[in-house]
Amino acid sequence: MPVSKPDDQRNAQRGANLRTALILLSIAAVFFGGIIASQYTGGNAVGIGVLGFAIIGFLLVTIGRKLRGDPSKTERR
Amino acid sequence: MSSIPHDHAAGHGHDEHAHHPSGIMRWITTTNHKDIGTLYLWFSFIMFLAGGTLALTIRSELFHPGMQLVDPEFFNSLTTLHGLIMIFGAIMPAAVGFANWQVPMMIGAPDMAFARLNNWSFWLLPFAAALLISSFFVPGGAAAGGWTLYAPLSVQAGMGMDMTIFAIHIMGASSIMGSINIITTILNLRAPGMTLMKMPLFVWTWLITAYLLIAVMPVLAGTVTMLLTDRHFGTSFFNAAGGGDPVMFQHIFWFFGHPEVYIMILPAFGIVSTILPTFSRKPLFGYASMVYATASIAILSFLVWAHHMFTVGMPAAGQLFFMYMTMLIAVPTGVKVFNWLATMWKGSMTFETPMLFAIGFIFLFTMGGFTGLVLAITPVDIQLQDTYYVVAHFHYVLVAGSLFAFFGGIYYWLPKWSGKMYDEKLGKIHFWASMITFNVTFFPMHFLGLAGMPRRVADYPAQFTDWNEVATIGAFGFGLSQILFLYIVLKALRFGAPAPARPWEGADTLEWTVPSPAPYHTFETPPAVS
Repeated sequence: MPVSKPDDQRNAQRGANLRTALILLSIAAVFFGGIIASQYTGGNAVGIGVLGFAIIGFLLVTIGRKLRGDPSKTERR
Repeated sequence: MSSIPHDHAAGHGHDEHAHHPSGIMRWITTTNHKDIGTLYLWFSFIMFLAGGTLALTIRSELFHPGMQLVDPEFFNSLTTLHGLIMIFGAIMPAAVGFANWQVPMMIGAPDMAFARLNNWSFWLLPFAAALLISSFFVPGGAAAGGWTLYAPLSVQAGMGMDMTIFAIHIMGASSIMGSINIITTILNLRAPGMTLMKMPLFVWTWLITAYLLIAVMPVLAGTVTMLLTDRHFGTSFFNAAGGGDPVMFQHIFWFFGHPEVYIMILPAFGIVSTILPTFSRKPLFGYASMVYATASIAILSFLVWAHHMFTVGMPAAGQLFFMYMTMLIAVPTGVKVFNWLATMWKGSMTFETPMLFAIGFIFLFTMGGFTGLVLAITPVDIQLQDTYYVVAHFHYVLVAGSLFAFFGGIYYWLPKWSGKMYDEKLGKIHFWASMITFNVTFFPMHFLGLAGMPRRVADYPAQFTDWNEVATIGAFGFGLSQILFLYIVLKALRFGAPAPARPWEGADTLEWTVPSPAPYHTFETPPAVS
């Protein structure tokens, strides 16, 4: 039988998973809405540039949060 | 091919777990990452055979100049659907199948973060594939403007284009859901002690690939949505008569399209980075630099899209920018190639079938990379754009690249998945047959492109006949080799020798610590990673 985690640990895990998924879904939404909105709002290069910086920004924020929050981040292979 | 649904570490029992449905309902309702991985892999192989059949029809028509077998409109549908099926039906689902099987086991997780979402991600695909293939049978036939669906032709096309658009929406949704699942799994469900910089490189390449998917699949969805509204709802995004810009379609499409090609190759890099250390009996050289190189490739992939558009009339400054960025992306790719070679250097190597495919990958992918560098040079690309040189380039990186790596991965992990060993002699025959016939098919296409033969043409001038004949013969040989592969897999599943938990002496990732076949549930208790 699978070993069951305590309920609060499972709920915390589920909450963390949902938060991560919502952040990722927001990236997808920004790109979907952004590429269409950029057709209305101005220069094509501006639209694509904004989207490009958005993804790099998301990446930096997410990876930075993970590295700051990782207690063993100084370990290396 | 999948493990028996059994909680205990038994390899050969036929009992089914009391809580799991059996038969067809098992496969329809499964939330187990191993079962879903198996579904993805079999689906991708079926689509590979379907796309391959279209390719052989194309090559049959191109065997001699003149129209012998099909009419030109149908030929254009063949090339379009060949591309769409191979990219969205074969390569991408195969990569996701590897991710489903391997990522949870490699990080010590019990399953994917969202198990039911995982099921939905898969089952969208057969529906999308049916929609795509059935577009051949509607009035007007399947989409026929190339897999890139350029406007304004795609705005004017028939019902087949609408079916293609819906199929792309569905496959995009599947990919986005799958990527969210993979990233959440990797970031949140790693075993204690498994830091990011201790993860196997295959997991790193899939983490980065998943971010690329989340960023660019919505862009494709937006693009084809705008195409749909141009076709049916009176908008003029890409219709010049209404104030739109057809070239804008190309910009937006390739903003998706170039990261897409890295989405197809990065998991292959991860597989090769797993196989080489195993059979060299040495750790991967430069693990950190491999991670940073993969991330660099992913970021740079957003900055090179217009190298597919050097002939649209871009200002020279724009052409220069994209030329330099495209050449720059070769640097981290070269770092990876050198690290693979350094991994093998002075290693205690043996050349089982997975290793043969990995080495073949390095050699042929590098050749494809070199032709990519040639195409990166704007004045050269202006001559070679839309010729068979481009066809040769991308088949070297996608077939000899991704596909060979996936074959290597199947041979490498089949003992773990099924508990059975494949026939090593037949595996080697499959490798050499694929290697030789692949090169017979695609190497002559460099000559055809340099001589000026355009791509996506149903007929050609007589001076191109000889190399087209050679390519067609090679293509049929390559196709036959894949039937051999199917036989090898089925023979292994049915009659293969029992596989130990660790059939490869140099394998050291977590999946080799569980029995073969892997139990239905693994790592319910997270392992301690030192």
